[in-house]
Amino acid sequence: MFDWMMNFFYSLPTVMQILIGIQLIVIPLMLAVAYTTFAERKVIGYAHVRIGPNRVGPRGWLQPIADALKLLTKEVIVPTNANRFLFLSAPVLTIAPALAAWAVIPFFDGGALANVNAGLLYLLALTSLGVYGIIIAGWASNSKYALLGSLRSAAQLVSYEIAMGFALVGVLMAAGTLNVGGIIEAQSGSMYHWFLLPLLPLFFVYFISGVAETNRAPFDVAEGESEIVAGFHVEYSGMAFAVFFLAEYANMILISALTAILFLGGWLSPFQGILPQAAFDLPVIGSLLDHGIHWFLFKTAIFLFAFLWFRATFPRYRYDQIMRLGWKVLIPVTIVWLFVEGVLVAFNVGPWFA
Amino acid sequence: MTFELILFYAFGAILLGAALAMISVRNPVHAALFLVVCFVAAAAIWLLAEAEFLGIVLVLVYVGAVMVLFLFVVMMLDINLAKLREGFTEYLPVGVVVAAAMATVLVLVITRYITMEVPERAGPEYANTEALGAILYTEYVYPFEIAAVILLVAIIAAISLTMRKRPDNKSIDPGQQMAVSREGRVRMVSMPSEKKRAPRRSAQGSGSGASDDDASK
Amino acid sequence: MITLEHYLVLAALLFSISVAGIFLNRKNVIVLLMCIELMLLAVNINFIAFSFFLQDLAGQVFVFFILTVAAAEAAIGLAILVLLFRNRGTINVQDLDAMKG
Repeated sequence: MFDWMMNFFYSLPTVMQILIGIQLIVIPLMLAVAYTTFAERKVIGYAHVRIGPNRVGPRGWLQPIADALKLLTKEVIVPTNANRFLFLSAPVLTIAPALAAWAVIPFFDGGALANVNAGLLYLLALTSLGVYGIIIAGWASNSKYALLGSLRSAAQLVSYEIAMGFALVGVLMAAGTLNVGGIIEAQSGSMYHWFLLPLLPLFFVYFISGVAETNRAPFDVAEGESEIVAGFHVEYSGMAFAVFFLAEYANMILISALTAILFLGGWLSPFQGILPQAAFDLPVIGSLLDHGIHWFLFKTAIFLFAFLWFRATFPRYRYDQIMRLGWKVLIPVTIVWLFVEGVLVAFNVGPWFA
Repeated sequence: MTFELILFYAFGAILLGAALAMISVRNPVHAALFLVVCFVAAAAIWLLAEAEFLGIVLVLVYVGAVMVLFLFVVMMLDINLAKLREGFTEYLPVGVVVAAAMATVLVLVITRYITMEVPERAGPEYANTEALGAILYTEYVYPFEIAAVILLVAIIAAISLTMRKRPDNKSIDPGQQMAVSREGRVRMVSMPSEKKRAPRRSAQGSGSGASDDDASK
Repeated sequence: MITLEHYLVLAALLFSISVAGIFLNRKNVIVLLMCIELMLLAVNINFIAFSFFLQDLAGQVFVFFILTVAAAEAAIGLAILVLLFRNRGTINVQDLDAMKG
């Protein structure tokens, strides 16, 4: 059955293969995004000692569908004097990079849509494009709150991108390749070969700046509902607003997946090199213990939960504190650790850089 | 017509169209956005010429950082658009004539005198980034260092030019905030006890009042 | 098949457009800066094209340095622009005549 499907898939023309691949990534991603919103409301609910949505469908499982239907049927209001074309293209510009970045993510061994040589650079370039949707949304709305939100967010994203880029430089120094699949290969061996241990400071910097890049709490001054109402998307309604929402969650999942890939070895099994080979030969448990997409999804889910956890735990940073953290704490930490790592790589120290 | 050529024409048309729009739109924000389109199209054309590292870096550095800076500045400045557009029609003929003459001469020279054989496409195992890194850190290592120093100078110059202390700024210095000690904020004062108030109730009141005074010392 | 002429003609047209842009927007400093960026882009396209057709990476190294210097130029140029606007309240080139004797 499975072989027959694979043979059929490879007999299709290349364009068809790519299109099917895109569907296979985007449809589960969109479902994941929908259920991340549900998970967020549930997790925060339990963190607040309440139940969260439980009315629509069994135990509230249909809540995201109901939300989507509600937003779809609402009117998209374009404010007077707003630039109509830019106003409506801003949500598209926000979600496009968030989806396009998934092209180079390997879900399992060899399971990436595009095996790009400079995959890490591509990811960095695409994440830096996300800022345009926010700037354009803020400017085209012709509203002071929206403009304030977009200016805040632009400065924040550009600042944290530097720390993020430095953290990625650390990863590529350790892996010796820009190819995302190659980075995972470089971490194979055992759990202790993952880049989590040798690059621990960079891991923290990367995840913190990832949270800041997605404009999530505690770095959500761009939305800051208590100060500037809802920031850059204050004028958006209906599906245009929903697309911003989708983009934010798609970005969250992307950052979680990237953290899992770059520091926790993506689809690598944590039991590799620890359990004897006999354990992997067991009928069902063996394939669960072995490498596979389930480990990648599990590691991604851990970081995704951390996003929700942060939101329920931390109060919002003040704007000048955000800038201080980005420029005066995270960037110096990365620079120092890059230097340390350079020394380690030059002298082939430890099990990681040998 | 090969697929590559179709891509080239498509991105070339986008590039030239966006460039034309950039120089002719009224609003500088729109001009900056058209320039972004130009950079993205140019990055695609660079990818066609096997310069994948530079193509991606163009998007990363120019679209992701420099143009954000431009947009930031354009949005913050409160510009009188009408005044800046004065003389647009006046200079239009001159500009068009000069540009057309230049384009004609350049295109004539290029199409008449310059031809080169099209080289073989590199295989999928060719890594442009690696090749560029190998040459950059060996043969061009001194220019590379100079480029780094230029960037450092640019950072320092940009910061020192635009940084100012506003007298009405009430922002807090977090360092000072953190350095606060208990001694700086709380002063323990030993005071003589207050005069004994007239007892409200007979014996009980006076007794408790005396014990309070002892505790405060 | 994309030939060298394709790249060079494209770059030449782009360069001419940016020259026209400098003529047309000669009052607006910020658009002038953008036109200079466009010119540098046209030059870079030439470098990349020659680098590919001569199979020599030196052209790409040059583009790398041009990008670095142009980014530095843009940063300092915009800083000066902000300072100018703060002090004189305008970015019109014709109003910048404080040095006139």
